[in-house]
Amino acid sequence: MIEIEHLSKRYGDNIVVDDVSFTVGEGEIAVVVGTSGAGKSTLLRMINRLVTPNEGRVLIDGQDTATIPEDELRHRIGYVIQGYGLFPHRTVAENIATVPRLLGWDRRRIAARVEELLDLFQLDPGEFAQKFPHQLSGGQQQRVGVARALAAKPALLLMDEPFGSLDPVIRGKAQDDLLAIQRRLGTTIVLVTHDMNEAFHLGDRIAVMDGARLLQYATPADLLTHPAEPFVEQLVGTAERPFRLLSLVTVQDAMEPGHAEGEPIIVSATLRDALAQLIWHGRQDLPVADASGTLIGRISVDGILKRGRSLA
Amino acid sequence: MSTRALILRAAALILLVAFVTMPQLFAFAFAPLTANNAPAIYNQGSLLALTLSHVRIVVLATLASTLLALALGIFVTRPAGREFLPLSRSLVNIGQTFPPIAVLAIAVPLVGFGEKPTFIALFLYGLLPIFENTLAGLTEVSPRTLEAARGMGMNARQRLWQVELPLALPLILAGIRLSVIISLGTATIGSTVAAKGLGEVIIAGLQSNNVAFILQGGLVVALLAVLLHDGLGLIERAAARRLGRPVDEIA
Repeated sequence: MIEIEHLSKRYGDNIVVDDVSFTVGEGEIAVVVGTSGAGKSTLLRMINRLVTPNEGRVLIDGQDTATIPEDELRHRIGYVIQGYGLFPHRTVAENIATVPRLLGWDRRRIAARVEELLDLFQLDPGEFAQKFPHQLSGGQQQRVGVARALAAKPALLLMDEPFGSLDPVIRGKAQDDLLAIQRRLGTTIVLVTHDMNEAFHLGDRIAVMDGARLLQYATPADLLTHPAEPFVEQLVGTAERPFRLLSLVTVQDAMEPGHAEGEPIIVSATLRDALAQLIWHGRQDLPVADASGTLIGRISVDGILKRGRSLA
Repeated sequence: MSTRALILRAAALILLVAFVTMPQLFAFAFAPLTANNAPAIYNQGSLLALTLSHVRIVVLATLASTLLALALGIFVTRPAGREFLPLSRSLVNIGQTFPPIAVLAIAVPLVGFGEKPTFIALFLYGLLPIFENTLAGLTEVSPRTLEAARGMGMNARQRLWQVELPLALPLILAGIRLSVIISLGTATIGSTVAAKGLGEVIIAGLQSNNVAFILQGGLVVALLAVLLHDGLGLIERAAARRLGRPVDEIA
């Protein structure tokens, strides 16, 4: 668990982060979202003390981070930045091994860990371990950047616009991959982005920042239904609201018994995706299948709309 | 590397070695350049010994320049040394603008004749390219790479040795190469203050109006310069290729 208590940062008269407090539970993803210059990155960098706060403190599992030597603290916190900052003179394997090497792990343990991570990120060790960063595509570099941050099994991962330099086509896939890996490892993540869709896609909780202040920290559904300030409402997008809500709920919750004709929808899909399918195929209802492909019910336009209304 | 380039390099090397070890074999080529039965080949000392001491002083001076320029370059790019940047820049620039012959003139009364004044002149003259390239190399390291290094908990020394210096290496090597080539040529004037070197051959030729001698001294220096330039360039390109930079970027 990570507790941020009254963090503030000033540069001269300029307040960059103003009295921000929130708590991220074990294994949760907290997304900090806001316009550029809202203080998101500074807030993130105060967690691993790349920036020293003027006031306030950060507790990781109850321990005040100010009491841990800086470098030691950073060894324990994964850090991914936009553009990844891979070391161009080191191979993929050497890049991933950075923190374990700083920690003095023995050679065999490092090699095993590197291979494990390459497998986890679907990069064939035989093909990628000895490549240099400039030989990788953007998506591959992104995966190596995250693998490197996770190498020493940190309990906390900080990510600053980690998908910012990916094109939209692979961005969605990279986000899904991150979610899958996070669910598997149970790593707590604090992620900074300016992309609202990304925030709703990834966040268990979303912190909205503007002008150095934290406006609201809430679950995505809460943010939509009970925006604390007009700015939050505006950022979320009034017209987008019902669709965002639908994207937070899976087909499971609006499934009805019975049969329907047509291409089945998988039960783990979001209602937003299901509605899109229904509109596209011009149907009132479609069958629902579970992961193994067995038909288990139907989903209808009326059912989705009813569910959508009840959410608001 | 193409086969032709390889053959050319090998030929230049063989020519150089053959000429300094067995100069008499080449007498026929230089004889037409002499007059009044003057010797066609330098006969006041061993060409091999002169070549070796010429190379020796260049290597020693460049080593010393490299050590100081590197240390200075690293120092002024650290937070503690940043304010010394303008000062070190002008000091190193003075070393370059001062003509080596003037340095010799000042150094001889202080340290006497021989290799010492030559060493001082070459040392001062070689500082600038290495210092400037070290600076450029260290300041060109991407801020993102450094941010990532800090964020992963590398301390200042680890960042310098594991990230900054390896990334600056191709440029630093280019600076050293420039410095070596400048010193090779400049070292010939050391012979005016009695340093052992290939300048002796050229000066002997000037004094006795023997074009063959002048040409021999010049030829050996030129062959050395070409071969060293080439060899150091190969190392640089290998270092740059590792970083994924196009080979042409390092000029």
